[in-house]
Amino acid sequence: MSNQTRTIPRPRRLCTAVCLALGLGVAGSATAQEPVRIGAIYIMSGSPSVYGQFAQQGMQLAVDEINEAGGILDRQVEFVLEDSQIKADAAIQAARKLVYSEQVHGLMGLDSSGVATGVVPVVPELKRPFIITHAATPDVTGKLCNRYTYRLSVNISQNTRAAAEIAAETGARRWTTIGPDYAFGHQSWEFFGDYLKELDPEVELMERTAFPRFGNEDFTPFINNVMDAEPEGVLVSLWGGDLVNFIRQANNLGFFEQDFEVLMTLGGATEVMSALGEDMPEGIWVGTRYWFAAHENATNDAFVSAYMERFGNPPSYNAQGAYAGIYAYKAAIEEAGSTDPEAITDALSGLTFQAPNGPLTFREGDHQAVVGPTWGQTAEVSDEYGVRMLDPMKTFDGDLVTPDVSETGCSL
Amino acid sequence: MQSFIAALLNSLDIALLLFVIAVGLNIIFGVLNVINFAHGALYMLGAYFAYTAMGLLGLSFWLALVVAPLLVAVVAVAIERLMLRTVYDRHITDSLLLTFALLLIIDESVRMIWGPSIQVVNPPALLAGTVSVFGVNYPLYGLFVIAVGLAMMLGLWLLFTRTRLGRIVRAAALDREMAQTLGINVPLVITGVFAFGAWIAAVGGVVAAPMRAIGPAMGEKIIIESFIVVVIGGLGSFPGTLLGALVLGGIHGFGGRFLPEINLVLPYIGMALVLLLKPQGLMGKGASA
Repeated sequence: MSNQTRTIPRPRRLCTAVCLALGLGVAGSATAQEPVRIGAIYIMSGSPSVYGQFAQQGMQLAVDEINEAGGILDRQVEFVLEDSQIKADAAIQAARKLVYSEQVHGLMGLDSSGVATGVVPVVPELKRPFIITHAATPDVTGKLCNRYTYRLSVNISQNTRAAAEIAAETGARRWTTIGPDYAFGHQSWEFFGDYLKELDPEVELMERTAFPRFGNEDFTPFINNVMDAEPEGVLVSLWGGDLVNFIRQANNLGFFEQDFEVLMTLGGATEVMSALGEDMPEGIWVGTRYWFAAHENATNDAFVSAYMERFGNPPSYNAQGAYAGIYAYKAAIEEAGSTDPEAITDALSGLTFQAPNGPLTFREGDHQAVVGPTWGQTAEVSDEYGVRMLDPMKTFDGDLVTPDVSETGCSL
Repeated sequence: MQSFIAALLNSLDIALLLFVIAVGLNIIFGVLNVINFAHGALYMLGAYFAYTAMGLLGLSFWLALVVAPLLVAVVAVAIERLMLRTVYDRHITDSLLLTFALLLIIDESVRMIWGPSIQVVNPPALLAGTVSVFGVNYPLYGLFVIAVGLAMMLGLWLLFTRTRLGRIVRAAALDREMAQTLGINVPLVITGVFAFGAWIAAVGGVVAAPMRAIGPAMGEKIIIESFIVVVIGGLGSFPGTLLGALVLGGIHGFGGRFLPEINLVLPYIGMALVLLLKPQGLMGKGASA
């Protein structure tokens, strides 16, 4: 009956990376107790696998730090990583495997909104807490919310709320969008439009929009289409390799020299910025869930320098999310005083813990962390980090951009 | 009018790159009777070799365009000699499985060697920027892709119709035993054709590199498109491949511009229509035995 007894592995599963992070070598005071086990599900294959790699690095760093400092409740901590294959059914199967055969105490991860909406309804049957660190659809802490599911990363409504603030300040009144043709692209445009209308009822949301297929390679027709429409502002919600392709092709066509404002909701991602280097246009507004140079606190300083030293590049938002996820579990398990999954789940609700992007609190009402994105205008390329820095730069206060629980559609 | 010209140029530039990939696939099928799933992976290898040649070794784009495809051809010789050769006598599904396995192996090897990050190479200075074509500003590099596609088409046509080598290859494709009896070294021809097909795919990869982000799984995207081209045009048909590529390029170029809401399904609608109305493809002669 259960999927996990499937004996013939599907081809893609052959490349599933099962990575056991045993901090045993590091730990001086190894205890006889069973380690705390965290199950993680990220995208480890296919073109977006760079996100999974970042998450793995973030978790590895957090786990090593914690083990070196004595572990959680005097127990070592380890993580088991499974590939989501960016498919909901594969991620559900991975979650079952992590719970039933790997016996993890808690789950974390998820990179895609599509995968998250499939996995979240299954979480209650697993009876394990699940901390989402990347997937951004509002639904998983909205109409699909449940007792076990938490999210520490910025969601679409938080990020587009901030985007609307920036957009209103630019003075542009006729807006269109270019975004990936799945839930994320459409929801980004819908939320952005609603928030922008609230700020400025006179603004025009154009009928003519462009939603190229996710993983499209040639964006030129869509770029031409948007340029023909003569908007005053363009919201770009493409991300990852698509965004890199888009920006290079748009550079070629003079897209960024036109008379309109360009806002990229995920343009501030370091993987995009470092792939492009000088090719990233200057003076464009870009958003990101976390920007390594935006937070002046001891946790962030230590995180950024340790990450740079170990992996050679500044931490991306996904590395930060995964790193923070491990620390969220540490805080919750210490609060609960045990690794009983129900006790951890209860402890997470209303919990405040220290993440690199500041102290984060999981709201009791919908389990969404009260957190805001960083937006900034692309400036000079930094020699130290190999990416354009952001100047001016603004990190939005979570309280200002997070909608009230009553608006989320969640009832717990 | 301007938007029509821009869409037309777009269609051509997408179509001719697709043609280059799909024609290699079709040549290999025609001679080896193998549907090469790993073809997209060889295209990706071309792009990655070019990236390393240009980034790490500091070679120019033009030198990379010469070196990278040759290296991929060498890899292809090894694949044919060590693996493909063992399955010719078996059912076609065995070669399908083998090349699919190769696709996964090459994909994961690329991920292990170069990492999963997105990589970028720049077009040569000569081809940077845009030019005005009938009043439309179009990237010069796009025109270069069109030129490469046309040159490849002309070269292949001359090779297969006007040269002795081309006739030998066609003879080996038609009847291996007869060709062998006539003194043609058929195993050598087969190795050569596979390496040549891989070389073409890698040329496509190098040419695509400056305008498309290099990343693992870039081969999977292109192989799906190439299969659509081959299905539309007809398996084993050279003019069909061109027609299929033009149809799909047109769907992307015009569809993306004028019907962006449904561009996602258009290629599949096109493929389904062809399969319904003309199952062998527009110019297909049916599967060769």
